[in-house]
Order: sequence, then structure tokens, then C-alpha cells
Amino acid sequence: MKEINELNLPEDLRYADDHEWLRPLETAARIGISDYAQDQLGDIVYVELPAVGRQLAKGEEFGTVESVKAVSSLYMPVGGEVTAVNEQLAEAPELVNTDPYGQGWMIEVKVADPAEVDALMDRAAYLKALGG
Amino acid sequence: MDSAGAERRKRCLLIDLPLTPYAEALDLQHRLVDARSDGRLDTDAVLMLEHPPVFTLGRRGGLDDLIVSRERLVQEGIEVLPAERGGLITYHGPGQLVVYPVLDLKRSGLGVQELVAALETVMIGTAADFGVAAGRDGRNRGVWTGGKKLGSIGLAVRHGVSFHGLALNVDLDLTPFSWIHPCGLAGVAMTSLAAEGATAVSLDAARRSLAAHFALTLGFDLTPASLDALPGWPAAP
Repeated sequence: MKEINELNLPEDLRYADDHEWLRPLETAARIGISDYAQDQLGDIVYVELPAVGRQLAKGEEFGTVESVKAVSSLYMPVGGEVTAVNEQLAEAPELVNTDPYGQGWMIEVKVADPAEVDALMDRAAYLKALGG
Repeated sequence: MDSAGAERRKRCLLIDLPLTPYAEALDLQHRLVDARSDGRLDTDAVLMLEHPPVFTLGRRGGLDDLIVSRERLVQEGIEVLPAERGGLITYHGPGQLVVYPVLDLKRSGLGVQELVAALETVMIGTAADFGVAAGRDGRNRGVWTGGKKLGSIGLAVRHGVSFHGLALNVDLDLTPFSWIHPCGLAGVAMTSLAAEGATAVSLDAARRSLAAHFALTLGFDLTPASLDALPGWPAAP
């Protein structure tokens, strides 16, 4: 597994306790899991995502990722309506490992309360939480 | 990891249970995971038990790998239940030792795949105690001997806390495995410690051996505990 100083943690993202990242877009926010999370999980073989249109609160489970022989739950870093899911992951779940912030994105949500975005960690705070 | 975290990781409660229906054990795990993740339960715990005969499906399903009819299973009195663990269909029954580690992976700094590998090591060590040489297979997880599968792994993780776990075939009727493609693998034969000629094998001896290897491999000091005596543990609803 990667050392903390080997992790790719972009400056322009927000991070949650359960290792999801959030990228604010113009009218929505894109969500995925961090380099740390994908590295801890190992090779991802299956990604289960919610239906578009679902309303989910902050902290609710929005899906699962299965790495070899282990299923891990995914949690909403903020509440809101799911406006898009990354359909590509059905065929190519390994994109979460190879490109967690790019092609490995998971869902987009219309953020219900912008204050929940502000409450997420920046890179420095997330690094600190990881023990770096 | 800070040293406080490393010290906390040392203690783990060992909860030995009798033959326990699958749904009951699942409910118990859910309550333990909730308590562990919100801090009401301040130590890791591991459950050791056997299940009455049952087929369980992984998160991705696995019904396609059931090769007899559902009616046949009804006749046999064996249920097929969904489970949220990794892997596909499998069978549990008396004579198989099932181990469910409820571990705060976040606190111990243990990655999910490290835990899978550790549980394989635990089963390999246990098999060796009974004179059975088992090992890993590069293509599939679990523990194998002579090309047959001896032990399986299927984990789940919620808020960084693990549950579900491993199943080691100790001394059981292997027939129901022939009604499925275990873990979605066609042509896989299952075996047990007894079928491999293990010496002096019993479920009790296997429990003791597995607990010792679990403690050694994961660096735990196992403390036997009963469910009623867990600190902060709510009574069953």
C-alpha cells in the first residue's frame, strides 16, 4: 500500500471522513473516493451506484464498491439529489483504482445545502486526518 | 499510526457462540458494527460460530450459480438468503467454523485486502495444526489444498468497520456444495479438514486453533467475552 506522502490528493477537492471526495461543479457536485480509499480497498471488481433522481442525505449510503472478496459501503459527503451516475463503472470498475479523480468518478448530486460542502475537509485537513 | 492506536488494537473480544441461525448472526453483526463505529463498543470483537444449513448470496448475487432447483432446496429445508458480503454464492452448515471479525480498520490502519490476506494466513495456520498442508491460489482468494477449496472469505465494511468474514470447512457433509458453483467457480471441488485426513479434528479443537492463529496473525490479545457482558452493549430489541 502507498505511504501517505505517495498519495495523490488534489488541492481543488473537498474530502469527507469516509474518504469520499467532492468536486464543486457549476450547478452540481461530483463525488468519488480518494486515492487513499482505492489503495486501501485493492482491485475493485464491482461498483453499485444509486438511481438518478434519488434524494439522499449527508451520511446516507449511496452505493458500494466490491474489491476482491470485500464489499465496502459508500457514504454521501453532502445531501442532495443524484443527477448523474458514472455508467462506465459498470463495465470498467477498475477505473476507480486507476483514475479515482477522473474517469473513476461515481455520482453527481445537486447539493441541497452549500454549508455542507464548506464543512468538508480541504487537502491539508484530510492529510492530517490520515495521520500525515 | 500513533501509539495509542496501536495499543487499542491489541485487545479484541472473542465471542464464542453455539449453532446460530444466519439471520440472527447477521442482525448481531449489524448491531456490533453500529456500536463499534459510533464508539459504544470500544474494542474490536470476533465472533466464532456454526450455522444451520443455509446458502447465502454475495452482494452481486450468485443465484445463477445455484445448479439445483429452488424446490429441491425447499425439500431439503435449506434457505437461500441474501448477504451484503463480497463474493458470490456459498454454503454454511454444521461442522464448518465461521468467524466474523468486527474490527475498526480505520483505527488499526489495516487495509481491507490486508485483512483478507490475514484471514487466509489464519486458516492456513489452523489447517497446519491438524496436519493439512493448505495454501493460497494465485487466481482465487480463499484457502486451498490439493486443488480443492478448504476455506472461503467474504467481507463487508461499513464506516471502516469490518464484518462477515471466513468459513473454514472442518468436518461437515460437503454434499450441498455440489448443488452450487461455490463463489461462482464452476468445477471447484470443496473439501474439509476431516476429508483431508486431519488428525484429531473437532470443532472445539478447530475453534481453539483458529483463535490462536487469529491472535498471532493480527497481533491481538483475545479476551473471551459473552454478549451480555459487553460494555455499552444494548440488550436485543
